[in-house]
Amino acid sequence: MTCGAPLDERDKVSDSGWREAPRLRDMTEFRFSSSTCQVEGELVPVAEVSLHPQDGVYFEHHVLLWKDESVPLQTMNTGGKRAIGGMPHIVTIATGPGRVAFSRDAPGELVVLPLHPGMELDVREHAFLVASHSVQYSFIRIKGLVNLLHGGSGMYLDRFVTAGQPGVLMLHGNGNVLERTLRPGEKILVEPGGFLYKDSTVTMQAQQMPIKTGMFRHGMYLAEMTGPGRVGIQSMYHHHSSE
Amino acid sequence: MNAYICRYCRQQSDPSAPTCPMCGAPVDIREHVSKTGWVEQPPIRDMAKIQFGQSHCQIAGTTVPVAEFSLTQQDWIYFSHHVLLWTDTQARLGNLPMRGGWNRKLAGMPLIMMQAQGPGHIALSDNHAGEVVALPLHRGQHMWVREHRFLVATGNVAYDWNSNDVWYETGTGDDKETHYPMGQFGDTFTAKDGPGLLLLHSPGNTFIRDLAPGESLLVQPTALLYRDVTVRVNLHLEYPRSGFAFWRSYSYRHIWIRLHGPGRVAVQSIFERPEGGETIQRHSWGTSHRW
Repeated sequence: MTCGAPLDERDKVSDSGWREAPRLRDMTEFRFSSSTCQVEGELVPVAEVSLHPQDGVYFEHHVLLWKDESVPLQTMNTGGKRAIGGMPHIVTIATGPGRVAFSRDAPGELVVLPLHPGMELDVREHAFLVASHSVQYSFIRIKGLVNLLHGGSGMYLDRFVTAGQPGVLMLHGNGNVLERTLRPGEKILVEPGGFLYKDSTVTMQAQQMPIKTGMFRHGMYLAEMTGPGRVGIQSMYHHHSSE
Repeated sequence: MNAYICRYCRQQSDPSAPTCPMCGAPVDIREHVSKTGWVEQPPIRDMAKIQFGQSHCQIAGTTVPVAEFSLTQQDWIYFSHHVLLWTDTQARLGNLPMRGGWNRKLAGMPLIMMQAQGPGHIALSDNHAGEVVALPLHRGQHMWVREHRFLVATGNVAYDWNSNDVWYETGTGDDKETHYPMGQFGDTFTAKDGPGLLLLHSPGNTFIRDLAPGESLLVQPTALLYRDVTVRVNLHLEYPRSGFAFWRSYSYRHIWIRLHGPGRVAVQSIFERPEGGETIQRHSWGTSHRW
């Protein structure tokens, strides 16, 4: 299993240790399980999946761009709490054989995260694009309403877990995507809207800053991320279609 | 350092460096100039560094670039709170005192400016696909910037904001409405005590041009990114010819701003068209043309 990253480019790491997500080249192809995925376009990339008969992928229904007529769809039961959390109520499963393509609707990057058995990854809402069927899906509630009221990162995070089988997870990050690995106990403060994903070993809690951000507001909240583990951020977090 | 002047920031620079250490512009490329004289501002390369004081700024990404500051103890920066992307726990954050909070609130401008004092790392980004434009200011230099385009400035750059005085009114009585096609206020930055650095975020691509004394140019009001304070601005209304006289006078008009040289101006390629099509009852001083 590969992630499609170009192998002939140097890692781009900033002085403070943030590594840019590799920008997948147009028409890059990579494999997962017995299927393949080809990435098309660079401004708003499309992930086009060719599913093997034994394979499947799941996704939020509104990211589906096109599919072969023969590809069957079914819904995954996620319970009503997803809708209460403002997230899409329906997660859809597509099974092979056939082709199906996905994209979100903002300039950004496709982040391909191959997951080895025993990995757990938390992803912000509205960033998940598609995952292979071997990746288990659930969602978790972020403790503390301040996250919802002030930070904007929502009440729920999507959690992806691999048990015995490897899998692949694809996210759409708005703007550019950067990743950093925190040492045990190392902390960083991130604008909650810029948070994209983290290893489940990284803890996240709202931290009030001693700064007033409006005449009648009490202060500014940032997400305090504490290592060990990876943290991914996106450089654009305002969804333009909502303007 | 040789006597090399960067063609983009107009500061003395280093031609042997991969990018201009003052503004991050590449030094090894040909200038791209359109036939009409617009110079395309080259995007700052991924991971390019810009030096200021004892600190530096590194630009990461190209779609929505992030300006990542490594601040030493002596240096500080200020910015609007909504562009903060991340910070380490060392950098000291605080409020920058501002005048006229209520007027800023009414004009839709950011109410709060934050400051970050080194040592530490802090990163900022805007929310549009586009470019970061770095403007190193020499001592005493002023620069006018359209509202919401300011990303960050170093502590030795003074900030002020003033009325643009470009407006028009539509409707009468209770329906009267005042429109500000380029925003009610503009930001002004001045390097007072020494050289300073000003970073803007420009949605889309950026083009710069030098206007000669007396030369004028019409641009879309929301396309103007920055200008030298020597460049004057006024409203310009155009009414294209139409078969229906009432239509021409009623709603079929174009709203421009006219820029008068001398001085440097910059435009961004993403802009919003002026709202509405109602009859203009009154407007700030300006020019008009009926075709």
